Amino acid sequence: MESSELATYRNYLGHFRRTLERQCADLSPDQLATRAASPSTLSLLGLVRHMALVEQIWFRRALQGLTDEPKLFSDDADRDHEFNGFAGTAAEVEEAFAAWHDQIAQADTWLDTQDDGAMADQVIYNSDGGKSSKRGILVHLIEEYARHCGHADLLRERIDGRTDL
Amino acid sequence: MTISGAFEPHTGGEVETYAAYLVGHRAVLAAKCADLTPGEPTARSMPPSDLSLLGLVRHLARVEHYWFRMVIDEHLDQPRLDDDDPTGGFHRVEPTLESVAEAFSRWQEQIEYADACLGRLGDTDLGSPRRTRHGDEASVRDVLVHLVEEYARHNGHADLLREAIDGRTD
Repeated sequence: MESSELATYRNYLGHFRRTLERQCADLSPDQLATRAASPSTLSLLGLVRHMALVEQIWFRRALQGLTDEPKLFSDDADRDHEFNGFAGTAAEVEEAFAAWHDQIAQADTWLDTQDDGAMADQVIYNSDGGKSSKRGILVHLIEEYARHCGHADLLRERIDGRTDL
Repeated sequence: MTISGAFEPHTGGEVETYAAYLVGHRAVLAAKCADLTPGEPTARSMPPSDLSLLGLVRHLARVEHYWFRMVIDEHLDQPRLDDDDPTGGFHRVEPTLESVAEAFSRWQEQIEYADACLGRLGDTDLGSPRRTRHGDEASVRDVLVHLVEEYARHNGHADLLREAIDGRTD
């Protein structure tokens, strides 16, 4: 039983990172890049790129104020570039997973510096001066991962019928 | 086209934060089911998945009942909703007005119970242990965060089910 606040968040965050990893396992670059739930334009590779960006936006930019880093898989000409801007090559798959894993490792390093007492801290999370508690951001990350893992559930089932991931 | 829950900032305590996300996800599921004919919410619109929007509504009534009434309020002696259905209620839906209305009224009933339960909880209750029907121990905090992520994952299903019905992603 996880009873402390931060440990509970880390437990669920880890659960969904591992879930998305499993949902993408044992597939070819083509399968990862395919828009398997048409008319939706989502793909598993797009979700991995998106989650790399989400981890960066929240852990690096919002929680640590590192707003000078260029946003991953982003292009001013297309706000959905992380979902659209790839052909599905092995190199693109490798790049996406490397970036995602790198963001996860950096996020975990920051999480190691936090404790339950810090969860009520208020942070400015965007350039408009919006405020949220760290708690609010971490619960958001959990529910955002969960929702995208819901997308990945159906994408994977349509690719090869797997539902036990 | 991109489906992504907009971030709503939360500045308050724990119970308040979890309740706000839960309310948000209930509203998303209700919106995913809105403005459809009775046959559409029962459509298995992402085959081979057997999920449907109304099946999700029925399932989440069961989820609210289990976690709030049976686990947090410690009524493990009660039967789970739809326990007599091998699909846990997922397939117990018909493309009729009555079936749609019944699923929504059961869900609403459980939401009302859940909200009363949440209203009794304070942040100091969150570390308290509860038993699940499998005999595991979970803190009240763990149960509430689980409810948020379970709704969120099912809303991910609902996103794609709805988009396949009429293209709506908002």
